Amino acid sequence: MLNAVQIIIGGLLQGSAFAIVALGFSLVFRVTGVVNLSQGAFCILGAMAMYFLQVDFGLPLIVAAAGSAVIGLAFGFVCGAAIFVPALSRLPMSAMLMVTAGLLTFMEGLILVIWGNQSYALPPFSREAPVLIGALRVPSQGFWIAGISAAIVLGLWWLIYRTGFGVALRACAQNPLAARLMGIDLNRITLVSFALAAAIAAIGGVAIAPLTTLQFDSGRFLTVYGFIAATIGGLGGMAGSITGGLALGVAEQVAAGYLSSLFANALALLILLAMLLWRPRGLFASRREARADVPTQRRVQRAVVRIEGGGAWGFIVALVILLAALPFLVPTGLMASLTIAMILYIAVLGLDVLMGYAGQISLGQAGFMAIGGYAAAILATSYGWPPLAGVLAGMALSLIAALILALVTMSLRGDYLALATLAFGLLIDSLTVGLVDITGGPSGLVGIPAFSIGPWAFATPRSMYYLALTLAAILAAALYGGMRSGFGRALQAIRADPTAAAALGINVSRLKVAAFAIAAMLASLAGSLYAFNFHFLSPDMVDTPHSFETVAMLVLGGEGTLVGGLFGTFLLTLLPTVFQPFALYKTMVEGGLLIAIFMYLPEGMLGRIAVLLSPRHARREVGSHDDARA
Amino acid sequence: MTTPALEISGLAKSFGALRAVADVSFTVAPSSVTALIGPNGAGKTTLFNLITNLDSAAAGEVRFLGRPLTGMKPDAIAALGLIRTFQTARVFPGMTARENVLAGAHLAMRSGGWQQMLWLGAARREERMLARRADDLIDLVGLSAFRQAPATDLPMGAQKLIEVVRALMARPKMLLLDEPAAGLNDRETAELAALLRGIRDIGITIMVIEHNMSLVMSLADEVVVLDAGSVIARGPPGTVRADRRVIEAYVGADA
Ligand SMILES: Nc1ncnc2c1ncn2[C@@H]1O[C@H](COP(=O)(O)OP(=O)(O)O)[C@@H](O)[C@H]1O
Ligand SMILES: [Mg+2]
Repeated sequence: MLNAVQIIIGGLLQGSAFAIVALGFSLVFRVTGVVNLSQGAFCILGAMAMYFLQVDFGLPLIVAAAGSAVIGLAFGFVCGAAIFVPALSRLPMSAMLMVTAGLLTFMEGLILVIWGNQSYALPPFSREAPVLIGALRVPSQGFWIAGISAAIVLGLWWLIYRTGFGVALRACAQNPLAARLMGIDLNRITLVSFALAAAIAAIGGVAIAPLTTLQFDSGRFLTVYGFIAATIGGLGGMAGSITGGLALGVAEQVAAGYLSSLFANALALLILLAMLLWRPRGLFASRREARADVPTQRRVQRAVVRIEGGGAWGFIVALVILLAALPFLVPTGLMASLTIAMILYIAVLGLDVLMGYAGQISLGQAGFMAIGGYAAAILATSYGWPPLAGVLAGMALSLIAALILALVTMSLRGDYLALATLAFGLLIDSLTVGLVDITGGPSGLVGIPAFSIGPWAFATPRSMYYLALTLAAILAAALYGGMRSGFGRALQAIRADPTAAAALGINVSRLKVAAFAIAAMLASLAGSLYAFNFHFLSPDMVDTPHSFETVAMLVLGGEGTLVGGLFGTFLLTLLPTVFQPFALYKTMVEGGLLIAIFMYLPEGMLGRIAVLLSPRHARREVGSHDDARA
Repeated sequence: MTTPALEISGLAKSFGALRAVADVSFTVAPSSVTALIGPNGAGKTTLFNLITNLDSAAAGEVRFLGRPLTGMKPDAIAALGLIRTFQTARVFPGMTARENVLAGAHLAMRSGGWQQMLWLGAARREERMLARRADDLIDLVGLSAFRQAPATDLPMGAQKLIEVVRALMARPKMLLLDEPAAGLNDRETAELAALLRGIRDIGITIMVIEHNMSLVMSLADEVVVLDAGSVIARGPPGTVRADRRVIEAYVGADA
């Protein structure tokens, strides 16, 4: 009994961290309708700034904490003014989600560059021994956290309900158009909310840092947990965020205490999925009842540029010849990277069907790469399966996982799918690390044989390159066959206007599931090839940052073109190899690129090339996304 | 007696206090043209939404070729051969006029994604055949010049025609057209009338919402007049035009 109370207290402490992140989520969501994925990164920024000011610099606690909050606020202002607000006025909602994903990646990269990849722990605010209440031990930091959370809530409440700014903010949340007509500067409100949310997150990071260790990429967990907490609370409200955060913290600690910490992660994911099922539209539903036959959402155009006509075939032939000759043209030192790029392109190709054609975002491609990689590796090493059988088994497993995930989330709007896939990817991450007996844990699996089909073994990077090239070419040709026919048209119709598509008899959810399954199976294939190529597989080779990476590669290359992703993949894979010092900056640059491309080069590299090659043959199209803000 | 194409009984829907559709019942004979008229806000579009289950009815039932549609998803209803268009033309942005029309062929296609991905001869032949048919239909409504243009670049009237043609590609048994002539000039309207007569003549039942009275009079076999959610008159065009209540409804609300 005592133990149980102790666990619940731990859960409440943990939960207040989630609650603080959730508060920031709600604030930004209320005003803009955007799920800001970078929220968790501001926590880490705050904690790291605190470490710098307090430990490195020796400032007193209060000054250092205030300084960290100011740094969070200032950085929030800069990001808000330079990125978030300008992006919001010209990008569709789904792209906004990706911009904040880019911001998350960028900040992780920035923190990595400044503070390195080691874990940081801060000293507790006060050095008292845990407070004893009866036989219960409550760490003194717990009181600090409780106090800070309460202060944030009170401060926010005062701001929203007792100030002129709050009136304007609530007006924007209720009806942005009316607010603008009333003369409220929507952009200013958005900017202030964004910066404020950043500062709240930074303070949250400062408060929880003494209880746990944090490193540059812990932010994405806080983002996901914060989002789950906000979802439980019915995103948007303050009381809901707090309740949601505390409930999630307690649930997690109870699961960790009585079952295992592995299960705690799974539980969080299950809670999210249950929430999505239970009130699937509750979260993003507009407050007014929309007319079903009129597209009420503002359509924001996003360019897709394809090369048309005879020029396309010439381009493809030239490209294939170039790719086939590439191993003889580049220094041998680059061969390994070429192989990696070609393998990754297979995963990006699958993602293009899902994102570029069906208009759905997946942030979980790496999760399927992990399933494919580990399935093939384990079957080959422990059970002596032939590599090809392992690859197929991995793809079957990924298909099953994708179908289960899709059945739960497919009726949901794009943002949900993206977040559910992110949660799925993180779950797979924790499984690959945690299931030590099966996956070898963090140190990975060794002794994976080379890929072979019957008597042919692909033991060198060059032979693997040609294998991957052949597979990629076959798959791209097959997908091209589908995308230019009825299948591709139906996917594009769904992306453009699901209601009108359904009115033509197109089964929207079934086709989305099909696109999702294709993306998952190709990612799985890439993951398997990865394992056979390196003869080794560890969790960090196929973890969530790689999901973001595949998205960055795709949009950099050009969505909805099938070949475009190739350019993004090669660029992002080869750059760090060619410019070694770049490696450290890779994450940051990827994040920055993701943001920049969404904002300034929506047609991607291939689109640019198409326009440069032959302005007359390039067909500029506009795809649309729904925007719930209108 | 043959089964009616469409059988609407006791259909009702309210938005808050507003009774948009109140206890509407009527039937549509196969291979006929029924015009649904009434002042703005009468509930015509809402009635279409209820028939296609885009909105759920509070009461009542719709039968299509004798089959109740209650609880079916919009795409399943379309798959039965009941295809609708929208009052605000909803062409697919990001696709050309021809791709838009081809998208309408989804239900009619026999080759699936797998066959297309394997570049099977049958799939490619079907694709070519559909492309020819799409071009044919686009020519028929006089939009040949726009085949390769992004559909959203077309004038509003042309977009509505593309939508009608797109619906035809699905090889429907019945079409529900929501103000297809809105945005068309007189010549285009006459062409549309000819097209709709042709569609009826090949056996496709039509229910069309239309404001243009001369179009309605020349085209319809049966006119249903809706006002404030209720059917106030029903019958052949000549009879309905003479109905006092119809004149009142129109003079009262629209003129
Ligand atoms: N989703 C909705 N929410 C609220 N009111 C609606 C909705 N859809 C339609 N209405 C109202 O129902 C009435 C009938 O609309 P509608 O069917 O579009 O009329 P019509 O097509 O005959 O012009 C109108 O007063 C309209 O404002
Ligand atoms: Mg209408």
